[in-house]
Amino acid sequence: MSEHNHEHHVSTAGQLWAVATALFILTIITVVVAKFISIPPPFDVITAISIALVKAFLVAAFFMNLYWDTKFNTILLFMAVAFFILMISITLLDTMYRNDVVPSF
Amino acid sequence: MANHSTSHPTHVQHHFVDSDQQFDTAKLGMWVFLVNEILFFGGLFCAYIVYRAWYPELFQMAALELNTFWGAVNTVVLIGSSLTVAMAIRSAQKNQMKGLKINLLITIALAVVFMVIKGFEYAHKFELGIFPGDFYTYEGLDHPQANVFFGIYYMLTGVHALHVLIGIGLIFWIYLRARKGEFNSEYYTPVEITGLYWHLVDLIWIFLFPLLYLIE
Amino acid sequence: MATAEVSPASTGTKKTFKVKRYIPSENPKKTFFTEERGLWAWLTTVDHKKIGLMYLGSVTFFFLLGGILALLLRTELLTPAQTFIEADTYNQFFTLHGAIMVFFVLVPSIPAALGNFVLPMQLGAKDVAFPRLNLASLYIYIIGAIFTFIALASNGLDTGWTFYTPYSTESTSSVIWVTMGVFILGFSSILTGTNFIATIHKLRAPGITWSKLPLNIWALYATSIMQVLATPVLAITLLLLTMERFLGIGIFDPSLGGDPVLFQHFFWFYSHPAVYIMIVPGFGIISEVITTFSKKHIFGYWAIALSSLAIAFIGFLVWGHHMFTSGQSAVATSVFSFLTFLVGIPTGIKILNWVATLYKGSIEMKTPMVYVFVFLFLFSIGGFTGIMLGALSADIHLHDTYYVVAHFHYVMMGGTLIALLAGLHYWWPKMTGKMYNEFQAKIGAALIFIGFNMTFLPQFIMGSQGMPRRYYNYIDQFTIFHQTSTIGSYILGVGFLLIAYYLAKSLMSGERAGSNPWGSRGLEWQSTSPPDLHNFDHTPVVINGPYDYHKPMEEFQLGLANAHDEKH
Repeated sequence: MSEHNHEHHVSTAGQLWAVATALFILTIITVVVAKFISIPPPFDVITAISIALVKAFLVAAFFMNLYWDTKFNTILLFMAVAFFILMISITLLDTMYRNDVVPSF
Repeated sequence: MANHSTSHPTHVQHHFVDSDQQFDTAKLGMWVFLVNEILFFGGLFCAYIVYRAWYPELFQMAALELNTFWGAVNTVVLIGSSLTVAMAIRSAQKNQMKGLKINLLITIALAVVFMVIKGFEYAHKFELGIFPGDFYTYEGLDHPQANVFFGIYYMLTGVHALHVLIGIGLIFWIYLRARKGEFNSEYYTPVEITGLYWHLVDLIWIFLFPLLYLIE
Repeated sequence: MATAEVSPASTGTKKTFKVKRYIPSENPKKTFFTEERGLWAWLTTVDHKKIGLMYLGSVTFFFLLGGILALLLRTELLTPAQTFIEADTYNQFFTLHGAIMVFFVLVPSIPAALGNFVLPMQLGAKDVAFPRLNLASLYIYIIGAIFTFIALASNGLDTGWTFYTPYSTESTSSVIWVTMGVFILGFSSILTGTNFIATIHKLRAPGITWSKLPLNIWALYATSIMQVLATPVLAITLLLLTMERFLGIGIFDPSLGGDPVLFQHFFWFYSHPAVYIMIVPGFGIISEVITTFSKKHIFGYWAIALSSLAIAFIGFLVWGHHMFTSGQSAVATSVFSFLTFLVGIPTGIKILNWVATLYKGSIEMKTPMVYVFVFLFLFSIGGFTGIMLGALSADIHLHDTYYVVAHFHYVMMGGTLIALLAGLHYWWPKMTGKMYNEFQAKIGAALIFIGFNMTFLPQFIMGSQGMPRRYYNYIDQFTIFHQTSTIGSYILGVGFLLIAYYLAKSLMSGERAGSNPWGSRGLEWQSTSPPDLHNFDHTPVVINGPYDYHKPMEEFQLGLANAHDEKH
């Protein structure tokens, strides 16, 4: 383990405001892209989710301090996401390959 | 793991060696809990994705019923509250008790704004007859599974709103403790882990917003 | 006075400590029983040992309840037609037997009861990381139980323990009370898991590196990870089911355009890993007991430790094998069938390593060891029949027959419950400071072994011949199997009563057990029996692993020589 007696990380107010500003701008971008630029599917979904992922990264890394934190907490976050993806992908393996969407009994 | 130490600061519980071990442990515990939260919402997102893959046209039609403007405002509000929570933690770390209390109060105010806007959105839908489940009476959406979309919508936003409410309660509790002067730069663990929870609530909304409001 | 160079979990860097041997008193004056006495002190305690014992009591109570239901079911099945209860009552009994045994007994049994008691001691910690959450988890468990009792007192439950939609959205029984009860219970499970993960990471005594963790800890670690990843999905599933009944939100209800098979996906995403949440802690106990009574280092430490994690991971990939006949797509079915076979690999690794540990060991056939052999025998049968059920074509024939019933009883009862009994007999002297009657204990183990096989072997036969599970009536050709099975279940019941009798008697008039009656090298045995309120009256320091029977005893029972000088 890499824990230690070091000082806790203290972000400067400037850093926090910079992160928040980036998040605000990304919010505006995602709305503008969705409402005023028509991207053909499935790329519209991919764009929206990609922007959301960037925002999520900013929040997790700098607001939640994962960037400075012990690595194990990051591993935990990735583990949660990995198992979430696992759940969805295996479920889709069923739902996307059925003969009838909703089986009738 | 000194058993009979005499120099423990008062906030360190008896089974920890020192303040740092207690802080790291609390944070680890909170992250494990956040893993829970992610998978809890994960179930709902999974239902969303399965139905969206089955009925893409339904999700595009239904997204038009949701008000993008107010959704975007709410996103900004929540990001703002995440910022103020981060500022609150910074104040605690720098021993600025006044800043801590002010930032906590702004956070609560922003969370309340979020809930009020959410309330207006719900009220508007109820007026149209878009109720959850059996009470769904809206005629404007020509799709047999329209009620299922709004079932998912109400579950996702409802469970998220419940988390916002719990967050308001937690932050208020932290505020009360801050007023009693329980925190300082040496001990602010509850502020830090409540902050982690609040950021997660923000994270969930960052995904809910484009998935529900923007895909058309 | 000696020195040892070890690394404390809280800093990670190696440090030299002054250590000395602390030989535990064989007849301690101060134990966690004698301190903080009285009912109120117990109900408000944050001591992991008291909480563990209270969990043990609650689990035993529910086991008794579930067991009585099982005996009533078996009695009803003595004759092909009605024997003594109505068909509706029968449906309620098998539902409650399943729900109680799974959610109230098997899931919390080993981690929350025995694990709570033993885990901090094996780590040399004074308590779990979050003692108040630990107490909260017990009360959440009790609240969940109250909800279930409300359901019992109102309309009962007849959906089967799996709550499958669409029947569970229509049934007139108290589905909401039970689902909310299980929902609440989930939080108890999550809190225990969170607590254990944090404790294992942060509260290890100086010297306990990851390679010196007892295998019981590795097993509980894998279990906790599964609890944390799977339980929230059950929570959201049950919440959706409740909303389905309250509001009819339609996600799972085919009459509203929803998909009932999706419910099964959600449900088994929890409930299949839950099978491993139940069995993996049992593996941990077997590893501990088998080394202690072979007086030999465990064979393949890392193979056993990592196979627990491998089982935890693969356990998340196979849930669809419960749905081979549910209308799932053929693609998913084939993938799930293939993945299911993979679980056999880490489980097989464990069994082979345990058997290899026995080789050339000096085996002592005390009661816990007897249960280990019972476990190896029964669990292997359960495991192999599981592989058969994982095979697609065989499963189409065997699905929802008594073959499946027999299979999961061999795994859950022959595995988890027998491991629990092994652990209970192994740690009983540590927990109570008293020794039970060895002869009676062996008779009890024999009764359970005979009764168990008599109950469930016939079920394999009638299952393969086509006897469906959950049926109230059956055709005459199955009579002999059902009757053998019922008589076997009575023998099982007598076995459990005998265990309850001699354990209770040992509390009153049992011989004093020494601090380490089995001669184990585990850290929990280096404290007094029963332990002190803070587990050890010194800070333990560990330089040898928990299975180092080849090292001299002088290198064990170490602790910080002078706590005051050793602060950073």
